[in-house]
Amino acid sequence: MGGIMQVVFDALSLGSLYALGALGIALIFGVMRLVNFAHGDVIAFSVFALLWPSVDAVAIIFAGNLPWFLLIPFTLAVGAGLSVLSEVVVFRRFRRANPATMMIASFALGFVIRYFLLMLFSSRPKSISLLPGLSQPVEILGARIPLLQLITILVTIGVLIGLTAFLRRTRFGLEMRAAAENFTMARMLGVRANRVIMGAFALSGALAAAIALILGSQTGTANIMMGASVMLMAFIATVIGGMGSLAGAVIAGFALGAIATVMQVILPPDARAFRDAFVYGAVILVLIFRPQGLLAARGTKERV
Amino acid sequence: MNRLTAILAATTCLSGAAFADDERIIVGFATAETGFMQAYDKPAQDAAMIRIAEINDAGGLLGKQIEVVNADTKTDRAEGAKAGLSVIDQGADLVVVSCDYDFGAPAALAAESNGLISFFLCAESIKAGIQGVGPNSFSASVLGAVQGATMAEWAYNKKEARTFYRLLDTWTEYNKSICDGFDWMMPQLADAELVGQDTFLNEDASIAAQITRIKSLPEEPDAIMLCTMMPGAVSAIKQLRAAGINSMILNGSGVDGSYWLSAVPDLSNFFVPVQGSIYGDDPNPAVNEFNAKYTEVTGGAPATQYTYPGYVMIDVWAKAVERAGTTETSAVVAELEKMKGEPTLFGPRTFTSELHHQNQARYLIVETNNGTPGVVDEWTISSPIPVADLMK
Repeated sequence: MGGIMQVVFDALSLGSLYALGALGIALIFGVMRLVNFAHGDVIAFSVFALLWPSVDAVAIIFAGNLPWFLLIPFTLAVGAGLSVLSEVVVFRRFRRANPATMMIASFALGFVIRYFLLMLFSSRPKSISLLPGLSQPVEILGARIPLLQLITILVTIGVLIGLTAFLRRTRFGLEMRAAAENFTMARMLGVRANRVIMGAFALSGALAAAIALILGSQTGTANIMMGASVMLMAFIATVIGGMGSLAGAVIAGFALGAIATVMQVILPPDARAFRDAFVYGAVILVLIFRPQGLLAARGTKERV
Repeated sequence: MNRLTAILAATTCLSGAAFADDERIIVGFATAETGFMQAYDKPAQDAAMIRIAEINDAGGLLGKQIEVVNADTKTDRAEGAKAGLSVIDQGADLVVVSCDYDFGAPAALAAESNGLISFFLCAESIKAGIQGVGPNSFSASVLGAVQGATMAEWAYNKKEARTFYRLLDTWTEYNKSICDGFDWMMPQLADAELVGQDTFLNEDASIAAQITRIKSLPEEPDAIMLCTMMPGAVSAIKQLRAAGINSMILNGSGVDGSYWLSAVPDLSNFFVPVQGSIYGDDPNPAVNEFNAKYTEVTGGAPATQYTYPGYVMIDVWAKAVERAGTTETSAVVAELEKMKGEPTLFGPRTFTSELHHQNQARYLIVETNNGTPGVVDEWTISSPIPVADLMK
């Protein structure tokens, strides 16, 4: 029982990370058909924002010393701020461009953010002790897991409930859903496009910052490449979830986390090194049988 | 392309005739001054510069002052080949290349094809030398496999470790080489048992599944051989301890340094093999003097033990040049290959015509206790790892 619960918690916590990432990508894709490849770099930036720029081996902790009740809002604000800034400075100019052009622009933006960090902090990974109170084991349902794992799962569930309420119960949420379904029509009916898009970017940036906090306290490391692997998994989750479908992205994120964890458990030692190949194999199977994704968003279907 | 061919042709013509009766002795650094390898190349290069300054202050090499020329590889393999050719063009007698085999090899191959000696600053793959470049190539560090073998034998003998767990990060050859050395040593340790093994990836956001496997063992293993490197190492160590696993953790030298310890507060029972101590407690006072000098020259103390191979490199090369009485490649290589347990500041060094790397070396053992690292012991593996086993 304890053994199985342990695996369940492992799968849920990894899935939470992917689900939060996938949600951040799906939100922006929903309102403006942009696959934002700079998302991973927003994650890295949010962690580095807690450090003072220096190229020394030892990190100079700056905002990272704030107490948790200030640290968390600060980091979320940094993520949201950078994301909104990238919309105002870059993506707004591509409003009428085709999705491929926007995707390339997001790659370019990602490089700019990454090299900016490289310039200020060098390529050396920096160590940072974020929320150290979370690095202790707790006993729950017969499984002994790090407190952070539990918090990650709870935070993700909280974010999902909050976001659902926001999208369903508020006027802004309604506008956002309308824009995701049919952007032109929504504009004609009085939805202010820029406001909705900026809102989506702010939410997406804050989600990136949430991942940054979780990754930062889990790994204790700030690394300019740290967002890349989560970004890749999150992107795959949005694809198999059905591009633009928020619920699909979340489900697929959790599914990917579960597959990766289960593969690590059941594969023989020699095959474990190729775990990701098996995970991507599963992704290909899903796409063969459901090319439109698990839950296709209504707005993305071709109308005949 | 035409330009490259022209440069190649020009250097090939020049190298034979022009350098033989050269008036000057030139060390060429084809290393990363920019990009991510810079963080690894710069400290070792600074240490090399300190040894060069010492030699020059003492009257030079063969009565001549050593001069230094540089070219930036920009952490790019194609640029690496160009940087190699550039320092060769500027008359280098010794071509120093990047810390890592993959990034240093292009410049080393350029040196090899021009009949010059190349030295990897601190590469720890067997390929960094005869096996991967050619008969004139050397590495200044110690093979990764020696680190894994050292930790296994030391923990077995000095810590009575009997049950071992092997956790490998499959990201790099370096990581694999540590575990290869561990695997080579294990059968030689009577009643030592490998109770389990697992792999992960350096960039894995979580190693929770791997930790669950360790926790489901009937008993916590005495020691975990952790074959990984930065930045994933910190993450793995932090997660192991956060999950309440208190086994002794054995590592390669890649995790040396106190710069990352803030990420895992109060870390204990954690062991790293190092060539010299950066913590001011090296049993050899000359190493502590070197640390002070390094701090004075560069404005900061060495961050990891990977600073030291740069110093060793110039030291052994200059001795070989002095003994050969010339910088001519074949004579210097012959002198280097005569070195058997040649004393250096950071332990004895041996080169043979079969291996231009260390398959046995004295390591200091650094223990981190309550977040404070310090030297607790030293260990040399009982027999060198055979080259045939290293080539597997």
